[in-house]
Amino acid sequence: MFIDIDCAQEKKYNQNTYGDYFLSKRYPEKGELIAVLSDGLGSGVKANILATMTATMLLKFVEAGTNIKTACEVVMNSLPVCQVRKISYSTFSVVFCNEEGEVKIVEEGNPQFIYISGGKVIEPEFSVIDSDTFKNRHMHVYKLNLKLGDRLVFCSDGVTQAGLGSSHLKLGLRRQGLIEYLLEKIKENPDISSSDLAKFAVRVAINTEPDRKAKDDTSCAVLYYRNPRYALIFTGPPYHQEKDNEYAREFINSKSKKAIAGGTTANLISRELNIPIKCNIAKSAGKLPAVSYMEGVDLVTEGILTLTRTTEYLENGFKGKEKDAAYELMQFLLSSDCIEFMVGAKLNQAHYDPNLPIEIEIRKNIIKKMAKILEDKYIKKVSVRYI
Amino acid sequence: MNKITVKICMGTTCFVMGASSLQELVDMVPSRYGDKVEVQGVPCLEFCNARTEARAPYVTVDDRVVMNATVEKVIEEIERKLSNG
Ligand code: FES
Repeated sequence: MFIDIDCAQEKKYNQNTYGDYFLSKRYPEKGELIAVLSDGLGSGVKANILATMTATMLLKFVEAGTNIKTACEVVMNSLPVCQVRKISYSTFSVVFCNEEGEVKIVEEGNPQFIYISGGKVIEPEFSVIDSDTFKNRHMHVYKLNLKLGDRLVFCSDGVTQAGLGSSHLKLGLRRQGLIEYLLEKIKENPDISSSDLAKFAVRVAINTEPDRKAKDDTSCAVLYYRNPRYALIFTGPPYHQEKDNEYAREFINSKSKKAIAGGTTANLISRELNIPIKCNIAKSAGKLPAVSYMEGVDLVTEGILTLTRTTEYLENGFKGKEKDAAYELMQFLLSSDCIEFMVGAKLNQAHYDPNLPIEIEIRKNIIKKMAKILEDKYIKKVSVRYI
Repeated sequence: MNKITVKICMGTTCFVMGASSLQELVDMVPSRYGDKVEVQGVPCLEFCNARTEARAPYVTVDDRVVMNATVEKVIEEIERKLSNG
């Protein structure tokens, strides 16, 4: 299963930094993921530092091989107490899980997470560990086995306490109020992504405030077990021309979403499979050839120029106004979890010109760079195959 | 009389060599010749593989290849076709 995780946040109004901190890290080789949501006391810079410190410490502990329970206990026992308010400097939720659906959760002070399975909320059992050093601190430890389609929703108290004391909701949104909204939303859109559901929860919280301003730092993180979305990109003609047909078939029969980047490649597929290409010349936005259309293929673009631009967008963000072909390709990539590149490595036959084989190197290098960015920055699973 | 088909290459080499300026033809041709001439884009005319790159961008007007294509050259070729019937 694929673990789709994302967090949405809003900072307390008139603060210029977030007092909640969310951190997640994937370990693709082991198929594991750890995420921490921490809420620092107060708001603004102080809270931000506390929350960041707590989350980072926890992550480092677990990375160093410390058992998650032990790591949380150490943190719980060592977090200082605010001298004025006598409460913990920061609270946290940690989730450690793998692609099999085995999940361990430790909570200290944050609102209890919401476990949604089959359109209903499950209230799982937990064990309590009291702090040795602080008598008002306890950790809740959960061990769960999640199935495909299950979700976990974590939030800071900014969400559950939204609207607190207002005339229409004396006790605020509360956990129960949030649950109702979440279930309704999931019913409406059963496949909603973690990113969208988290944003929705934060919006609900803010809309609950009478003046629509966040009274506290408001964060929601969602973890969702779903089938991975596969994407396949074919770029460059294959080295062995006699295999063109084989590769074209493999491409079109794949269950993944499909893109072609390259004119010669598009021609090849069109020729081998007898699918016409409709090329849109009327609008080529932003100095790139426009996308073309081919039945059974989700996106068809030009090659090197578009790939180069897409890599730029992935690296630095899309800042342009005009949504060009490279933007489309970026969206295509980002809406997938597992991405495979089929990179043809054929030299142009007629090129004896020493300058020309460079084109293949360029393609290989761009793909290499793009793959690395997709892996490191966007946590995608990427594979590159030279054909 | 058969309709004339103009194909403009939108491949990498041709685009870099100036095919983007040929997009003017998309509006210009129909307004001049109505439905006697049709303009299409193609992902790559595959001439870049076989000939020297210095002749891109390529455009075809039916079976004629226009090398180092410009709007003027393409129009010229269309006119020739039309007058030869
Ligand atoms: S790019 Fe124009 S002929 Fe190939």
